[in-house]
Amino acid sequence: MKKLIAITIALPAIAILACRKSEPPPPTPAAVPAPVTTLPAPVSVSGVALGTTLGPDKRVTAATEAFGAKDTIYASVETAGTGHARLRARWSFVKGDKTAKVDETTIEFDSAGPAVNEFHIAKPSGWPKGDYKLEVFLGDAENPAATRSFKVG
Amino acid sequence: MTDGQDGKKDDDMPDFSDVKSGASSTAPGAEVFQIYEVKSGDSLSRIAKSFYGNGNAWKTIFDANTDVLKDPNKIFPGQKLKIPPKR
Repeated sequence: MKKLIAITIALPAIAILACRKSEPPPPTPAAVPAPVTTLPAPVSVSGVALGTTLGPDKRVTAATEAFGAKDTIYASVETAGTGHARLRARWSFVKGDKTAKVDETTIEFDSAGPAVNEFHIAKPSGWPKGDYKLEVFLGDAENPAATRSFKVG
Repeated sequence: MTDGQDGKKDDDMPDFSDVKSGASSTAPGAEVFQIYEVKSGDSLSRIAKSFYGNGNAWKTIFDANTDVLKDPNKIFPGQKLKIPPKR
């Protein structure tokens, strides 16, 4: 009788133990994802257009690369990104392999996002006919971020 | 006078000394200026006369370049100066 009682008690205990062993381990807590840090993009030139008139948004109203002798020549330079920016526009006359500087103007600003910047040149006595180019530089870069060629004829 | 990229006069090229220029930006607080490279024999008043038509405006140029100029009488060939627009 004692044997039967012992077996009666032992069997459920063994069953419980067996069940416990087959239980999956408790789940480990999910790893906390690292905070996503997006570095702000530095200022870059996103577009350059030349024309003879500007809209109130400082964009040229009709892009062209051919100008008349008495035109005021506008360059609309769009920038994107954030941070301190120094945007330099160098206008040059090109004759064969020679260039002559026409003008160099700089805009310095703290960019909070997309911006439109305009540069313009005029020559009351009239532009000499020929080939010209505009180079746009960012900061102290030696290579232009953008270049546009145009003609006066 | 026409200057080449190297700053030397080139008689073979047109004269662009009467070119008027300007700039502006939609970015708030944007500052516009021209860059002038100092040549031998220059003084601030001579540069001011050239850009503003008034040699007495030299202080405008000096004030814009206090990061590189400590004495208005000491400028050196090759220095690049910010020239604020004529006010």
